[in-house]
Amino acid sequence: MRPDEELPLSRRLPVDEDVGRELAFHLAERERELIAQGWEPEKARAEARQAFGSLDAVASECKGITRRTRRARLRAETLDAFRQDLVLAWRLLRKTPGFTAAAALTLALGIGANAAIFSVVNSVLLQPLPYDQPDQLVDIAEAHEKGWSNPPWSNLLDWRAQSRSFDGMASYGRSVRTALTNEGPASLRSAVVSEDFFRLFRVSAIRGRLPAPDEHRPGASGVAVVSEEFWRAHLGATTDLAAERIRMDRDYQVIGVLPRSFRFPNNTDVWVALEPSGPTASRTAHNWSGIARLKPGVTVAAADRELDTLTARLARQYQPDFDAVGAIVTPLQDLLTISARRPLYLLLGASGLLLLAACTNLASSMLARGMARRQEVAVRIAIGAGRLRIVRQLFTEALLLALIGCVAGLLLAEALLRLFVHLAPPNLRLAEVHLDGWVLLFTALVGGTTTVLIGLFPALRTSGAEPAMALREGGRAGASRAERRIWNGLVIAEVALAATLLCGSGLMIRSLSRVLQVDPGFRPDNVLTVSMSLPTAVYDDDRKIDQLWTRVLESIRQVPGVEVAGLTSALPMSGNNSSGSFGIEGVPVPPAGYGPGNGGYRMVSEGYFAAMGIPVLQGRDFDQRDVDGAQPTVIVNRALASQWFKDQDPIGRRITLQSGMDNQGEGWLTIVGVVGDVHHRNLTIPAAPETFLPMHQRPSRGYSVALTLRTRVEPRSLETQVRQVLNQTAPDVVPAFATMRERLAASQTDRQFTTTILSAFALISLLLAGVGIYGVVSYTAVQRTREMGIRLALGALPMQVRGLVQRGALTQVAIGLLFGFAAALVTTRIMDSLLYEVNGADPVAFGAAAGLLVAVAWVASWFPAWRMARLDPMLTIRTE
Amino acid sequence: MARPIMPLLKGTLDVIILRTLGWGPAHGYAISRWIRQTTGDELQIEEGALYPALRRLEERGWVDAAWKTTDTGREAKVYQLTTLGRQQLQSELKSWTRYVAAMARVLETRPAEALS
Repeated sequence: MRPDEELPLSRRLPVDEDVGRELAFHLAERERELIAQGWEPEKARAEARQAFGSLDAVASECKGITRRTRRARLRAETLDAFRQDLVLAWRLLRKTPGFTAAAALTLALGIGANAAIFSVVNSVLLQPLPYDQPDQLVDIAEAHEKGWSNPPWSNLLDWRAQSRSFDGMASYGRSVRTALTNEGPASLRSAVVSEDFFRLFRVSAIRGRLPAPDEHRPGASGVAVVSEEFWRAHLGATTDLAAERIRMDRDYQVIGVLPRSFRFPNNTDVWVALEPSGPTASRTAHNWSGIARLKPGVTVAAADRELDTLTARLARQYQPDFDAVGAIVTPLQDLLTISARRPLYLLLGASGLLLLAACTNLASSMLARGMARRQEVAVRIAIGAGRLRIVRQLFTEALLLALIGCVAGLLLAEALLRLFVHLAPPNLRLAEVHLDGWVLLFTALVGGTTTVLIGLFPALRTSGAEPAMALREGGRAGASRAERRIWNGLVIAEVALAATLLCGSGLMIRSLSRVLQVDPGFRPDNVLTVSMSLPTAVYDDDRKIDQLWTRVLESIRQVPGVEVAGLTSALPMSGNNSSGSFGIEGVPVPPAGYGPGNGGYRMVSEGYFAAMGIPVLQGRDFDQRDVDGAQPTVIVNRALASQWFKDQDPIGRRITLQSGMDNQGEGWLTIVGVVGDVHHRNLTIPAAPETFLPMHQRPSRGYSVALTLRTRVEPRSLETQVRQVLNQTAPDVVPAFATMRERLAASQTDRQFTTTILSAFALISLLLAGVGIYGVVSYTAVQRTREMGIRLALGALPMQVRGLVQRGALTQVAIGLLFGFAAALVTTRIMDSLLYEVNGADPVAFGAAAGLLVAVAWVASWFPAWRMARLDPMLTIRTE
Repeated sequence: MARPIMPLLKGTLDVIILRTLGWGPAHGYAISRWIRQTTGDELQIEEGALYPALRRLEERGWVDAAWKTTDTGREAKVYQLTTLGRQQLQSELKSWTRYVAAMARVLETRPAEALS
């Protein structure tokens, strides 16, 4: 007896009817029995009801129980079926490990790359700054005829007093220096901040207090607050702040500790409360940055307009000692992320293309698998498997595949993120990046949906009428025309996506190699640099500084292996780019009161040019003649010489530096030499005019210097000895070592980062395209086995057969390349600012992309083609 | 109807049903008739109470049910023991036998001397 409850739902009696009929049967039988015993029919019926008890209560109790039973059974069955499906799916996937691994890996790559890149973009660009209402914080700069600069303090004070858009305005400056703490010398990042600075950020001290307004005034007693990290690392997390003094340019009393989250600007360790001297100061001294908080509801544009108006009024009032033409108000977040934005959005776009390529690849390989399984599905339908059941089975299989891919993607994303953090240039500040859950979910959904939709394909395609047909075709049931077109389209799309990514990364690689070919103007090999800064409170006298560096240079030159040693106030690519205007003897000063020249200025010692390998083109290097009290001298670079002296001899001509305008009228400097141009800021920025002043005449610029040593041996190998010498001659400084090669490489980290990741994406997409081509060619080849067999039998050469098979693949690549190039021409336009001396349509990059794709297509199609060409013609024809 | 009727102990109905179905598949009315005849109306069972009990046994997986045509040509819901039900019957029988024996001993044994 087969129990009714095991019947399909459609053939089971509904619960109400089941119960009703059973109870009715009982009553009827009882009544019949009583009648048979001689009861009168009416009495018999009444007696039957009476003996039964409450019919309604019994019925409803029965219904309740059976409903419960059925529900439980359904649950168990569903769960059981799902488990069966899962086990079967796993078995099937394991039967084709190559396909499974490839599909899961494809999915994982798409998900992993996207999740990792988006997490970076999110935390670097999209996450609000970690301050209260960060969207109100703005940077304030001055607009000039050309470019922009920091706002002079006096202008900032006027803006603060007269504007109504702001809820406070402050200025800050930063520097890296050596400080003496109670625990010895420490190299630290310091900032000088004006009143209001901390109030703008709404930050408060976690220990101690913040400076009072009058403690910022010039001449105040000198107080500083420190970061929590500095407090732990250098102050031993002391609770007795009153005992802590930090000695930098003077002594500062530590009065407070800021929370861990606050390190503005630029990972500051120590904030010194100090304002520039009063409102009478220069209106053209652009020393400190300006920052402000907008009042609630005030837009950046409105604030900008108000400051423009105020600036115009100030300009009328203070001409000619005034050089601003307006103000530039920029959201702080934009300012901090401006350099990272383009590369990151580029990588985000690229990872999007990669996800698309991964989905396309998945689609085409799932499609191939689906076609291969059409017959299996047809057979199962023919022998009576429910269509729903087959759909469910295929669905489970695709779901399982998607699941494996997603888990692998998650792991990959985590690993990639770690790799990014490792590779990333420091300005990205990736340290606190974490994987973003939403994007992981999003990419997993995209990838998973693709897998599942395509996975269902064979079941959806095989409608009720088709199984017979599919079977009749005896397993040769090829793809329909439409299917083949879809498939070819997918492969073309893969090629196009790969071509786009390859072109993009090709352009970046070409740019990078162009940049690395740039002659920096110095010889970077065998140069060791040692950055140092002085606690100026100890070295408070120009003579002391001069004596110190003279002593240091003398003792360093004794170190075996040192060929020549020199000092500079600013190494190339160090980010130290002091510049200012200069006047030229015999050339009138423009009405603005300064100029006409503008350029960088550095202090250098004798031996610096030789150590860096910068050629002295004309005149001489500094030497013992250029001392304090002697004729003030200067060396200029070729860019300055050719801009201002053209074909005349610059030696003996005189210039005067007007840097900071405060030093106006500092006297004429005689040019004694011309040196070669150096790319000071960056390899990609052309050399600007530069002036070099002799160390002994400018010791006050010597509180922060870099030693440069040209070595006969591997430069890093001298580090220990140099450190020992410095320990003896300059015990108060904290030296930081780097070779010039390392500095050069570091200056290109961001370009290298973008290039590396983009190229990795391009290579993955190339691989995916290769797999896609392999799939479609193998399938087509199998479809054409019979045709090829006949061709071979009729005398075609194996080579011809191979060519025939491969030609199809190469045609698809050609079409894909066309689309890819068109897309690349459009998309690489957004890369323009990231490229260096490479055209967005660079034929080499595009040619390389085409070459790579054709090569990959050839390799991917070679194996199936080779298999075809080796066919035994007789065998193939007979088996068909 | 004048003589006293014993109320049914809790769970006893299940055992009776299992025992009845132990003789072979039967529909609800047949089970009810059999109980009536064998107990000689000694046990007080509302006939209706049988049906929820049957369905509860079904829920527990001790009996199966299917609609069948009876000898008289009528449609009836026929119950039969499952393997599980058969095992349950065996264990119920054992414990009832022990229970009854123990009761009988207690009720019938007379102490040889005073208990205190």
